[in-house]
Amino acid sequence: MDWPVLSIMLFTPLVGSVIVLALPKEKPALLKWVALAISFIPLILAALVWFSYDRGTGGMQFVERAAWISAINVHYYLGVDGISVPMVCLTALLTTLSLFYSFIIDQRPKEYFAFFLLLETAMLGVFMSLDFFLFYVFWELSLVPMYFLIGIWGGPRREYAAIKFFLYTLVGSVAMLLAVIAMYLETGSWDILEMARLQPFSTNLTLAAVAFWAVFLGFAIKVPVFPFHTWLPDAHVEAPTAGSVILAGILLKLGAYGMIRILLPIFPAMFRQFAPVVGILAAISIVYGALVAMSQWDLKKLIAYSSVNHMGYVMLGVTAAAAAAGSGPAAADSQAIALNGAVLQMWNHGIITGALFFLVGVIYERAHTRDLKAFGGLGAKVPTFAGILTVTTFASLGLPGLAGFVSEFLVFRGAFALIRPFAIVSSLGIVISAAYLLWKVIQHVLLGPLNERWARLTDMNRREVITLAPLIFFMVIFGLYPAPILDLINQAVVTIVGSL
Amino acid sequence: MLPTLSVLNLNGAVPQIAVAGAGMLIMLIDALFHRGSRRWAAYLALLGLAVALARVVESGASAETILDGALARDGLGMAFALVLIVAAALSVLVAMDYLRREEHERAEYYALILFATAGGLAMAMANDLVAVFIGLETLSISLYVLSAFFTGDAASREAALKYLLLGAFASAFFLYGIALLYGASGTTRLVEMGTAIRLAGTQADPLLWGGVALIIVGVGFKLALVPFHSWAPDVYQGAPTSVTAFMSVASKVAAFAALVRLLVVVLAPAAPLTSALLALLAVLTMTVGNILALAQDEVKRLLAYSSIAQAGYILVAAVAGEVGAAAVLFYLLGYAFTNLGAFAVVLAWSRRGEGRLPFSDLAGLGFRRPWTAAALSLFLLSLTGMPLTVGFVGKLYLFGAAVQAGWTWLAIVAVLNSVVSAFYYLRLVVIMYMREAEMPLALQRAGLALGVALAVCAAGVILLGLVPGVALDWARQAVAVVLS
Amino acid sequence: MVPADFLPILVLIIVAVGMSAIAIALSALLGPHKSTPTKLMPYESGMVPVGDARLRFSIRFFVVAILFILFDVEAIFFYPWAVYFRRLGLFALIQIVVFVGILFVGYFYAWRKGALEWE
Repeated sequence: MDWPVLSIMLFTPLVGSVIVLALPKEKPALLKWVALAISFIPLILAALVWFSYDRGTGGMQFVERAAWISAINVHYYLGVDGISVPMVCLTALLTTLSLFYSFIIDQRPKEYFAFFLLLETAMLGVFMSLDFFLFYVFWELSLVPMYFLIGIWGGPRREYAAIKFFLYTLVGSVAMLLAVIAMYLETGSWDILEMARLQPFSTNLTLAAVAFWAVFLGFAIKVPVFPFHTWLPDAHVEAPTAGSVILAGILLKLGAYGMIRILLPIFPAMFRQFAPVVGILAAISIVYGALVAMSQWDLKKLIAYSSVNHMGYVMLGVTAAAAAAGSGPAAADSQAIALNGAVLQMWNHGIITGALFFLVGVIYERAHTRDLKAFGGLGAKVPTFAGILTVTTFASLGLPGLAGFVSEFLVFRGAFALIRPFAIVSSLGIVISAAYLLWKVIQHVLLGPLNERWARLTDMNRREVITLAPLIFFMVIFGLYPAPILDLINQAVVTIVGSL
Repeated sequence: MLPTLSVLNLNGAVPQIAVAGAGMLIMLIDALFHRGSRRWAAYLALLGLAVALARVVESGASAETILDGALARDGLGMAFALVLIVAAALSVLVAMDYLRREEHERAEYYALILFATAGGLAMAMANDLVAVFIGLETLSISLYVLSAFFTGDAASREAALKYLLLGAFASAFFLYGIALLYGASGTTRLVEMGTAIRLAGTQADPLLWGGVALIIVGVGFKLALVPFHSWAPDVYQGAPTSVTAFMSVASKVAAFAALVRLLVVVLAPAAPLTSALLALLAVLTMTVGNILALAQDEVKRLLAYSSIAQAGYILVAAVAGEVGAAAVLFYLLGYAFTNLGAFAVVLAWSRRGEGRLPFSDLAGLGFRRPWTAAALSLFLLSLTGMPLTVGFVGKLYLFGAAVQAGWTWLAIVAVLNSVVSAFYYLRLVVIMYMREAEMPLALQRAGLALGVALAVCAAGVILLGLVPGVALDWARQAVAVVLS
Repeated sequence: MVPADFLPILVLIIVAVGMSAIAIALSALLGPHKSTPTKLMPYESGMVPVGDARLRFSIRFFVVAILFILFDVEAIFFYPWAVYFRRLGLFALIQIVVFVGILFVGYFYAWRKGALEWE
């Protein structure tokens, strides 16, 4: 394609954000529709990229590169491969759905929609950047709108949650920044692919270890990996519904994406050396996340902790690939399978958890509570809601035939071959997550005797069904036939595994 | 030999002459026709600064001496002079409406700002420790008077007295340091002093070390480095806000200019020891400044502690010596826009007759004053070091210089401090946007001049953050041309 | 100049400080200590002090004193210039005129602002 599709996709929301700000605030309906309409442009372009990405050639495509700050060799450098294309599509999709769902926002809609579009630019930028400086700019930029979304439109403890979210991420990202400055001084380049080729600090192992852990910290906080996850429940619970969707659906993927795109290719030797440590953290995230989720009585908090659990599978997959780095073609198949599973799990978690947070929002809008003990017997009362919730929950716990199963299977298939002890421990997480999803979510919300308080509860309206329909579609279609997305991912994953 | 006009090279001293001359002209005109509005004084001040700026910009990358060797006209001096002049011009704009609102509009204000600037320019270009001292005193004495400018206000007078006493103390240290360095090298000219020290080797000459230590103490007072910072919060809070804005930027630019020149030209052979000393000060300054800032509940005082911490960050690059000079320069350029902008917002929002701006007054202003609040958020994010603002590029450059010079641990401390600082900078944003006002503040309309100043500051912060290339190249080339 | 050249000054300082220290120490050790109320009064002559030692006096004294010092300094610079006037020539004349000119701005300002008026 000879026109800058990525740049257009990237900056349309930014321009849209300015347009929304310029609209009169007396006409909330107008600005909501304008924001939604604008968000369709990156969505359509993302779909275009998905279909026109040449799976035969693979590698980075739609590349754009221009000098930005030549004094320190920084480039405006965009490109997507099979890992970033699904993430870009996920971002565009969830943003559009979130904006549509957010039509209920009455409080300062103008600023809300402007921040949301700004956030989309930042997130897309992270997935497209191939220059570390640019990557970092978007990475940090994504903090600001989300900080405001939580802080202004959030729940009762929004101030605390917003600041905590910001500071946690900032700690990690400045650590990462310092390591990257050192890497730049060593290699003279900010180019992520170039850095992976040059393998910085390959002679100075101490420095390499420090840089590895600094970058790891930056991404691990975002993923989040135990013990850096404590910001997550606060931020997810206090954020407005659409904010939680984006947080869980996309912002967590930024960290995981960084692990795969940056940490793994640039520090393969270090990652292999420290794979046991990372593996332990991943296993703890999986099991501990599941256990804590099981003990929650707040539905939103439960789903928030389930993200710790599910993102743990991503980490497990990445660790499996890293643990066998440099061991040649013998392990390459298992590595590729694990990493494929990790990337697919990122996509699936975005779709499924996004849907779950939407569903929490739907029920909270009506019941004004998220207390699981207060619900019960809603299954017959609100059948559409019950149906969608059931499908989503089953997808989340990895029922075969739905999307979650494929990715978890791939992750464990790779992990059992390469890091068996961690895989065995982690498999506990699957059992526990099935337990809490069935017991807490299905049983406490949908089954049992109907609480009389909810006698007048209404079922989902058209807006809500339209919001959730695409997500359900992807859960089912990629559960039954994951080949289209796996073809895309596999291409890029094999390249990365080959370079390790 | 008798000096001649060509030795004086007065042409090179045009910036100082224009600035000080405009100041004297203001005094004369005011003494002759002192009735009515004093706007003209501000315009005259801007004119003088513009002439100085034009002269600074047109000077190429050459290195020559002025006033028989007392001053140096080189890239380093001109670059810092440029930052200083821009800061002075912005603070004149900021002050115009504020002084009228507070009913203290007097022509002397602008004259004093100009004299302070002339002093700062002398420091930035000084090639002689005596010239540094004269510049320092011209700057300082003007600032003492400016601090007391709201004569009816007890806080303003108290601030001035504190500043005067501690400033005089610092001057004494500085002067004693000059005397010891003179004793060690037999000259006060920086270039010759550098040669003398290089020739003598870096053996432990107690006179040299004593002199360096005392000079650093003197400069440390001026920059409010911990542990010489105790005057800063009270003075920053008590002085008229427009003065605080100017002071927080101008004295930093001038003092860092002198410090960088001293480190590059004179103390390069002694780098290991001076660096260690400065590194210690940097750690203390950043950490203490940030921790104390956390406890504040008033914006001006918060910004006072924040600017202590900011001086610490800049010192991190100064530790790196020659490698860090460009970073110091670039950061100060960005800092001038950022900090002046932040103080301009404080000044626009503070109640009439009241220097303080308690946090509670900020509540709800995010939506009641969307533009100004957005500007303040921008400045605060830049002070934090968020990307797309000049603060990010500046810090990247500062800490990068430290890493490059092998001071990685110092860069780590600095980065951790940046995180701490995010907490209190963000707190202001939280209050502006996330809390409703209990008793809404009665706000004055910001005047045109203030609006222009804010717009310029915001544009500077964004442009230098978005396309810093030109400025980075400029900084790098400027500091490469040093008279030595 | 090397530090050794300052040795006489150091000796002088030690002698000066030492002499006064010895004098004070001796009188404290040897002198009788019998304090009476009369002895502790400010004036040993026996005069009874009247009023408070802290007095407010007009700020104008201060202004005049400052102005005096400023212009006194001017005079000090004139002496060496006057002595070498012929050898320094036109160049120094221009310099001193500039110097005086700057001082005159201040003087004129002080005058017009009423610093010289007593009432």
